[in-house]
Amino acid sequence: MNSALPVLVVEDNDEDFDMLQLAFQAAAVPNPLVRCSDGEETLEYLFRRGRYPSAEQAPRPGLVLLDLNLPGVDGRQVLEQVKADPVLRGIPVIVFSTSDNPKDVQSCYQSGVSAYLLKPVDLERFERMVRLLKEFYLEFVVLPEGPQSREERRR
Amino acid sequence: MKTDAARVGQIVDLTNCDKEPIHIPGAVQPHGVLLVLREPELSITHVSENAPVLLGIAAEQLLGARLGTLVAPSVREALEASLRSERLKQHNPLKVAWRVEGTERFFDGIAHRHQGKLILELEPSSEKVSVPFLSFYHAVREALSGLRDARDLQELCETVVQEIRRMTGFDRVLIYRFDAEWNGSVLAEARDAQADPYLGLHFPASDIPKQARELYRLNWLRIIPTVDYRPARVLALPGAQTDSPLDMSFSVLRSVSPIHLEYLRNMGVQASMSISLVKEGQLWGLISCTHVSGTRYVPYEIRTACEFLGEAMSSLLAAKEGSEDYDQRIRAKSIHAALLERMAREVDFVSGLSSHESGLLELVHAQGAAIHFHGRTTVLGAAPDDAQLAGLLGWLGTRTDEDVFCTDRLSSHYPEAEAFKEVASGLVAVSMSRGRNNYVLWFRPEVVQTVNWSGNPTKPVEMEDGQPRLHPRKSFELWKETVRGRSLPWKAYEVEAAAELRRSIIDVALQRSEALLKLNTELERSNVELDAFAYAASHDLKEPLRGIHNYTLLTLREVGETLPEGARGRLDTVVRLTQRMESLINSLLHYSQVGRTELSLRETDLNEVVAQVLELLKPRLEEARMEVRIPHPLPPARCDRVRIAEVFTNLITNALKYNDKAERWVELGAVPDGKEARVAYYVRDNGIGIKPEYHEAIFRIFKRLHGRDRYGGGTGTGLTIVKRIIERHNGHIWLESTPGQGTTFYFTLAVEPGAEGTEGE
Repeated sequence: MNSALPVLVVEDNDEDFDMLQLAFQAAAVPNPLVRCSDGEETLEYLFRRGRYPSAEQAPRPGLVLLDLNLPGVDGRQVLEQVKADPVLRGIPVIVFSTSDNPKDVQSCYQSGVSAYLLKPVDLERFERMVRLLKEFYLEFVVLPEGPQSREERRR
Repeated sequence: MKTDAARVGQIVDLTNCDKEPIHIPGAVQPHGVLLVLREPELSITHVSENAPVLLGIAAEQLLGARLGTLVAPSVREALEASLRSERLKQHNPLKVAWRVEGTERFFDGIAHRHQGKLILELEPSSEKVSVPFLSFYHAVREALSGLRDARDLQELCETVVQEIRRMTGFDRVLIYRFDAEWNGSVLAEARDAQADPYLGLHFPASDIPKQARELYRLNWLRIIPTVDYRPARVLALPGAQTDSPLDMSFSVLRSVSPIHLEYLRNMGVQASMSISLVKEGQLWGLISCTHVSGTRYVPYEIRTACEFLGEAMSSLLAAKEGSEDYDQRIRAKSIHAALLERMAREVDFVSGLSSHESGLLELVHAQGAAIHFHGRTTVLGAAPDDAQLAGLLGWLGTRTDEDVFCTDRLSSHYPEAEAFKEVASGLVAVSMSRGRNNYVLWFRPEVVQTVNWSGNPTKPVEMEDGQPRLHPRKSFELWKETVRGRSLPWKAYEVEAAAELRRSIIDVALQRSEALLKLNTELERSNVELDAFAYAASHDLKEPLRGIHNYTLLTLREVGETLPEGARGRLDTVVRLTQRMESLINSLLHYSQVGRTELSLRETDLNEVVAQVLELLKPRLEEARMEVRIPHPLPPARCDRVRIAEVFTNLITNALKYNDKAERWVELGAVPDGKEARVAYYVRDNGIGIKPEYHEAIFRIFKRLHGRDRYGGGTGTGLTIVKRIIERHNGHIWLESTPGQGTTFYFTLAVEPGAEGTEGE
């Protein structure tokens, strides 16, 4: 039922995105994957401006997978802005990071992240993680449908 | 009139002579005649009983008679005119000719007025007339120029003793200076070979009692031509003795104290003369002339010349003493500058101060010094031992009132100092920071240790007729009694030099602490950066690592079956290396975290901590069939529970890993530490042991003693992290080990309450 909602992947590292794609394919995730490779682009996408001025170009994601360490505007700032916005706030954001810095973990949950996942250096674990993510978030969790009409009006 | 001349037989006692009324002895020395004249008619009211011997007239005949009727007519008019003069002393010596049985006897008349009485003293003279002015002038001119040219006090003293000896012919002439307590020391001496040397000797204040000193101050010259004289009492005209006894303060013939004569006789002296040295109205010292080879009379004119030299020297004292200090001050300044330069140059300014060439001791003329700075004490020269110093510093810490504390009798302030008075009876302490107990201390030994001897100080007191013979040796013993526990006094310029050094040290320390503050700020910033760096680095390192790992694995998965075995094996190795690299990165990150994150200190039951750790390690312990021994419950500690659990985990894991015995055991316990920490905890095993040369190395990060995969492998960070945790608890970790038999790791937790972090994180 969530399969139509795009999953927005914020990832600057091509290999990591590659692996993620492979893992998603392997796990047979039906949702379209959308990639933004830096913070700036992510914000343009989510707030529909710059490169993504319209809803057609930037359909509201059902889930955001967010890397924290990004060039330019980093993941922490993206998270803050998303959670500060009354409309975007509803989108579950899952941090997908290498850093287990307790400060990052703490501040991300403070900002309202839905889950904090560590990228493992272990293919098996990685694949398992993606499978679980798919099962839980894309199959069991009820994701919010965006308040499309009202949102369109407002923007 | 009653006189006290009979006192000669009195018991000599140096303790009671302070009370003796020596200015009214009622007697004179018999080498002259004392007359008291009633003005204006100049009739005789008092006469010394030796008058018949010298003047040839019975005392009864003299009393009441007019002086003018008795002297030779040739001198009568001039004599009477002089005696009536207001400026009586200017006419001294009066030339007096006395007609006796048809012949004339000549005398030097020395007249003065005191308490309304005109006193005329007559000393036999071989000269009919005054010594011409020029001879007096020549006698003193050369001496005076010598005095003026003297560079310092010492040279001045030496010049004077030589000149006085030349003019008077005494066997021994010395200069004697009083200290603040009226003890005397001999500064200079000119003597004949047969006179004992007294140079450098000290005499107690009791040698010259107070009232004698007062007379010395008033009357600058005294002579005793023979110590074996029989005092001649002063007789008074009946009816003239109504008022107080005759005050002979200014008399030249005044009979001296029998105690003083005894003293001189004990010293082997047969005649003496002394001239006062007065500085700013205070008795400064004496020029003391003594004769051991017979009696010695010095004519009035020579005496006057000597007195004149004494006055001249007195007037020069301030200047010469001042210039002495001046030279010392200049020297102190240059030492100070050198010290400052050294302090500035050395990284550790204390070592700059304390190096032996630094002149720290010379700055204040101390024999020892100690610098106590931030809990560390550095000692130079002769100083109390460590325990004594610690006590002294503790005591100084209780005195918060002064920046510079200075005493020449430490034990009277701090009785414990009695134990080390030989090195530190004198103390100058400058405090460099209030409440921090940072000090520079200078020490001077007890003065008895300092005195320069010219003879054998241990020579026993000589006994004569069963009585101790009073002698400078004996006198020295007395003096020693009076100066027990005291050092030579600190001069004002020395204390100033100490205070000045204090200011410089504070300046240097302040500059240092500012530099340190700056460094700290930079360090803090770089620490924060390093912290961020550790995460960024680990992130940035892990990213490509992940790529290598994943792609390799993917490749293996996709085409692994088709690869030749060698290639597949190498790709397997790449995967294993990525895993190893990841664990290294994680360890490094963990190590940096141990240093950065705050400790959560709580009173902790370590038995609970250990139980938890053992629970976690249970599978591994069971697998290794390792026995865990805890003979006694562990005492509690104030620590960070999680970190200490990590310490135990690490140490127990090591005990488990590095063991090749069939029956393995690990023992946990605590032993008294004896140092600042209450106990030292230990983890003991019967493992492979560690060679002594590795006891330090094993704590270094990534330092491994064994092949990577022997003994279960590891990153080589475990003990480094353990050490860091212990050190963050202000504790120490060390080990004892017998290779092949086992190892014991000890650690202490010496956290002070409130020293680290707070309750909770």
